Amino acid sequence: MCFIDIKHINLTVPSVPKTKITVNILEASNVTKNYAAHKALDDVSIAIPKQSIFGLLGPNGAGKTTLIRIINQIIMADTGEVTINGEKLHPRHISVIGYLPEERGLYKKMKVGEQLMYLAQLKGLSTAEARKRIKYWLDKLGLYDWAGKKVEDLSKGMAQKIQFIATVLHEPNLLILDEPFSGFDPVNANLIKDEIFELREKGATVIFSTHRMESVEQLCDHIALINKSQKILDGSKQEIKHSYKSDKYTVSYKGALAGMSANFDVQGTRELEDGLMESTIQSSNGQSPNDILKELITKIEVHSFVEVIPSINDIFIKIVEGGKS
Amino acid sequence: MKQIFLVLKREYLTRVKKKSFLIATILTPLVLPTIILAIVYFATKEKESRSDLIMVLDESGYFTEAFDVTSFDFKYIDGDLESGKDRFMEEGAFGLLYIPEVDLSDIAVIDFSGFQLYSKTNPSIQAMERMERNIRLKLEDLKLEKSGLDPQVINNLQVRVDLDSFNISESGEAKKSNAGLSFAIGYGTGFLIYIFIFVYGSQIMQSVLDEKTSRIVEVIVSSVRPFQLMMGKVLGVGAVGFTQLLIWFVLIGGLSTVGLSILAGNNEVLMEAASQQVPQEAMELTERQEMAADIQAMIATVPVVKIVLCFLFYFLGAYFLYGALYAAIGSAVDSIQDAQQFMFPIIIPIIAAIMAMFFVLDDPNGGLAVTLSFIPFTSPIIMMARIPFGVPDWQLALSMLLLIAGFVGTIWVAGRVYRIGILMYGVKVNWKTIGKWFTMKV
Repeated sequence: MCFIDIKHINLTVPSVPKTKITVNILEASNVTKNYAAHKALDDVSIAIPKQSIFGLLGPNGAGKTTLIRIINQIIMADTGEVTINGEKLHPRHISVIGYLPEERGLYKKMKVGEQLMYLAQLKGLSTAEARKRIKYWLDKLGLYDWAGKKVEDLSKGMAQKIQFIATVLHEPNLLILDEPFSGFDPVNANLIKDEIFELREKGATVIFSTHRMESVEQLCDHIALINKSQKILDGSKQEIKHSYKSDKYTVSYKGALAGMSANFDVQGTRELEDGLMESTIQSSNGQSPNDILKELITKIEVHSFVEVIPSINDIFIKIVEGGKS
Repeated sequence: MKQIFLVLKREYLTRVKKKSFLIATILTPLVLPTIILAIVYFATKEKESRSDLIMVLDESGYFTEAFDVTSFDFKYIDGDLESGKDRFMEEGAFGLLYIPEVDLSDIAVIDFSGFQLYSKTNPSIQAMERMERNIRLKLEDLKLEKSGLDPQVINNLQVRVDLDSFNISESGEAKKSNAGLSFAIGYGTGFLIYIFIFVYGSQIMQSVLDEKTSRIVEVIVSSVRPFQLMMGKVLGVGAVGFTQLLIWFVLIGGLSTVGLSILAGNNEVLMEAASQQVPQEAMELTERQEMAADIQAMIATVPVVKIVLCFLFYFLGAYFLYGALYAAIGSAVDSIQDAQQFMFPIIIPIIAAIMAMFFVLDDPNGGLAVTLSFIPFTSPIIMMARIPFGVPDWQLALSMLLLIAGFVGTIWVAGRVYRIGILMYGVKVNWKTIGKWFTMKV
């Protein structure tokens, strides 16, 4: 089976400032968590660079939420250690973290403004400061007129925006978003994405847990893949994608690909519109793109020549499926 | 601590600000006595106005006009027992009272039997006793007449005795006690605790369940420790109950003061009115004043401060003890329906206590009373029932200590279940799983 996505992806992600990438805001070393019936986390270690958007990926039930709950001090690791800014987890770190859980909700009977005030105060904000920031965020997301309404009167999208505001009100250095876009319509999802980028620009680090890969491609610069309680892959997104390259190229052309040398295999050809042909070519002896292109030019009229970069989705499926067999 | 206070504040304000709280708080002390009065009024009125017919077949002939039982009319008939039975069935009377020949010739015979009451439905015990008494009195009169004794002598031989009971304190100060009032206070305070456990316990449970089902709980516990959340909730809902109780005290206190002063008479106004009226009414007035004074004196016999302080203690103790358990149940289940099976073991001791309370009021220092007033699960209700009658200090102290230990224990147990339960969705919960959560590491 082969999942190849030949779409070229333009990264709109602002590049990470190079000076800060060396410092990790969070490090988890050899974290293990057992429940009565099963092992939720098995010797997991991750390091999350400051100001990165870190994708915590894995299928449902892999252990993502367990790891997040440990970071939030909702539960404790059996063994292993988690540090934030080099310090062991401590209750004071709670105010450093903003957590948007996958299973999330609000007090239905409470007014929007009061609710945000309550959640902000629980994170240690003063009333005056909280009021200022609530106004700022409600204005920003166009919900100011709803401050006096009860949550049950809000649409689902509005409620989700309120949840997002509650997560960021105390200006956390570390934002943990568990499936933040589930249930969002595309417009609101984009709005939230922009807010995430903006917060990162202001210095926040974002842990972004999901099993939906398309948003990972757009958002994350670092990822860790967890499957069956174990971390099986981590690193910067670009590095990982490059390490999973398999020297494949897609070429569209006029003419016929025949009588090629043994330097590469032609793995599939299809006809495009405009009478163009498209083939996937696998380099067999580590030939550079230039070598291949040189040979191709002699045989066919090349219209485009693109290296196939595997998507995170491909890598994800490859690894998870590979783990099963 | 600050976190607990924030949770407490939210729980308190969202409840107190509700209109339903205001209505319930203000109306209950007005409506409840009204309902009780209405029931008593209609019951007595109905009893008076209704009169079932009892046919009397008096073969002895002694009992004409002997019967006087409220709610019954008596009609005398002739004939034998069989025809009497037929007749009472035909005429649809309530019953047939059959009085056979009575032989009074031997003065030494004191046992009389053979009196029979036939009826379609069971007569009340009270009515039976009244009829027995009527027959007895009549027979006594007849025997007295036959004996040739002077009825005046007999009357003079009968004396009346009034036994006043006093409670004597350590200092030797004797106070007139009043068993009736003690009963009322014991019953009232015990019952109030019983009601509050149910009402506010289930409010805690509902509140925990709401946070769980609305899925806000995980957001909250990322800022607050689960134990803090639980305690804030228990304290917050408790503060609401306390507020309500306080308002009731003030309202009832105010109402009864007004009531007493009306009873005693707004002296000037009533006196003035009385002076212009017939002396009999003036006498009635002084009687009423006496009655009010009696009530005030009676209240003075009760150790009010002690009862109030003990009530507050046992009220809070019971509330914490059961409130924590209700919180644990709320955290364990996904819906109120699932909660039913876990409610049962909690309700049992409360029901047992309220049932035992009647025996305890009867014998406030018996073995049952003392034992149950030590067990934390029953002590709040039972001890409150005992206190107005007087409880040895050591028993009170021991009971309070055990109750403190009891609620610390239930809060600890509940906290351990709660911290796991609130994060569990869609799990089939039974006692075994709850036990597992209790022992689980976080």
